[in-house]
Amino acid sequence: MITIRGVAHRILAIPDLLIPEGRVAVIGPNGGGKTTLLRLLAGIDLPVAGEILIDGLPPRLREVGWVGGEPDRDMVFHRVSDEIAAPLRFRQDPSPLVDKRVEAVAAEIGIGDLLGRVTGELSTGEKVKVALGTALASGPAILVLDETDSSLDGESAGALREIIGRASCFHVVFATQRMDLAARSDSVLYLEGGRVVHSGSPAAVFAALSGTPFQPPAGWSR
Amino acid sequence: MRVVLEDVAISRGGFRLRASGSFGEGVHLVTGPVGSGKSTLALALAGGLSPSSGRITCEGIRSRMLVLPFPGYHVTGRSLDEEVASWGLSPEPVLAAAGFAGRGGEDPLRCSLGELKRLVLSCALARETDLLILDEPYSSLDCGWKAELSRRLGERRNGITILLTHEDEQLPKVDEIWEIRDGGLAGLGRVPEAIRLWSRPPRYIRAALEQGKVPANVTPGDARDAVCGTRG
Repeated sequence: MITIRGVAHRILAIPDLLIPEGRVAVIGPNGGGKTTLLRLLAGIDLPVAGEILIDGLPPRLREVGWVGGEPDRDMVFHRVSDEIAAPLRFRQDPSPLVDKRVEAVAAEIGIGDLLGRVTGELSTGEKVKVALGTALASGPAILVLDETDSSLDGESAGALREIIGRASCFHVVFATQRMDLAARSDSVLYLEGGRVVHSGSPAAVFAALSGTPFQPPAGWSR
Repeated sequence: MRVVLEDVAISRGGFRLRASGSFGEGVHLVTGPVGSGKSTLALALAGGLSPSSGRITCEGIRSRMLVLPFPGYHVTGRSLDEEVASWGLSPEPVLAAAGFAGRGGEDPLRCSLGELKRLVLSCALARETDLLILDEPYSSLDCGWKAELSRRLGERRNGITILLTHEDEQLPKVDEIWEIRDGGLAGLGRVPEAIRLWSRPPRYIRAALEQGKVPANVTPGDARDAVCGTRG
């Protein structure tokens, strides 16, 4: 369970919110506070006021995986294998363990063939997969994805959805403008003007949003 | 006014794209999956990348502009006002049209990705550019602004607009469709005839085609009209 109490940060104001385990879609207009919330959940920023707990601990005491919306910006190292190994090396895991884990994660995501490649020469879809591998390498308690699907086509976004579905991670919180992905999540938060206006099951939130552009595409089915 | 590609080959990293064809006035849609070479083509059309063989000729084009997928790369101003002014535009009307009324003093880099995208696209569309190249203009926009962008692109009547995208939920009315397949650019011709030749149409178009209906154009509304039989 993620507990948010009395949080005020930039435009965000959330008096009281409980987010259950599972895949949580964060939707809403640009500038509504989605990224601000995600940065707090990832522990990148600390709230000016209030408290966020992930299963009882603040985000900075939890292992966190983060992937943003600009995969170019997520790449730090030259080689893909070094990129995925980075979170493990930073926490000084023993070398043989790091190598094993990198291979395991690459296999899980289906990017074993990319390990020897140069990050700068990857396609956008490949970069996103490498960034996901890096985020999952350390076995995070929470995976936070900030419109990671915005640079992907339908097919790659489908692959991303599958990876998220398989990830052994209690909490996956992702901001998205693809309402078909939001409709397939376990719960949805709709943010506008820095407030959580609707939260709950996809069916309940999309019913509350009927008549807005925030609807799963016509003919969509679960 | 037109851009002509004659037996062009463009190489970038280990990647190679072949392209031939002529882009005349109107809105051209270039589709292809992620990694197929859309951005490479966009860069070459904008003059930022020379072909390794063949020739790209611009005829009667006085100005051209490339809008990049990630809006942060466009920012040069310290405030939204300065940013709009850097495009040679008057800040007030552009900021109002982009949904930033009264926020001219804010730092562009404090805006969200989607907000920044909205701003850059509003600036690009407010200028009269003969050749406007838009690389993934829909990415990062929220659902409401995606529809708004389609509407505004439909209003652009002069010049050549080349829209390169893999977007599959929202497209504007276009004149011609192109598709990147197997490392080459294929011209499918004018709509609606081109729609039948499309190997990877967005799913709402595919749904209409599967029912034997060819939409009049490529917007979600056209697909809906085709399926519901209110037109054609």
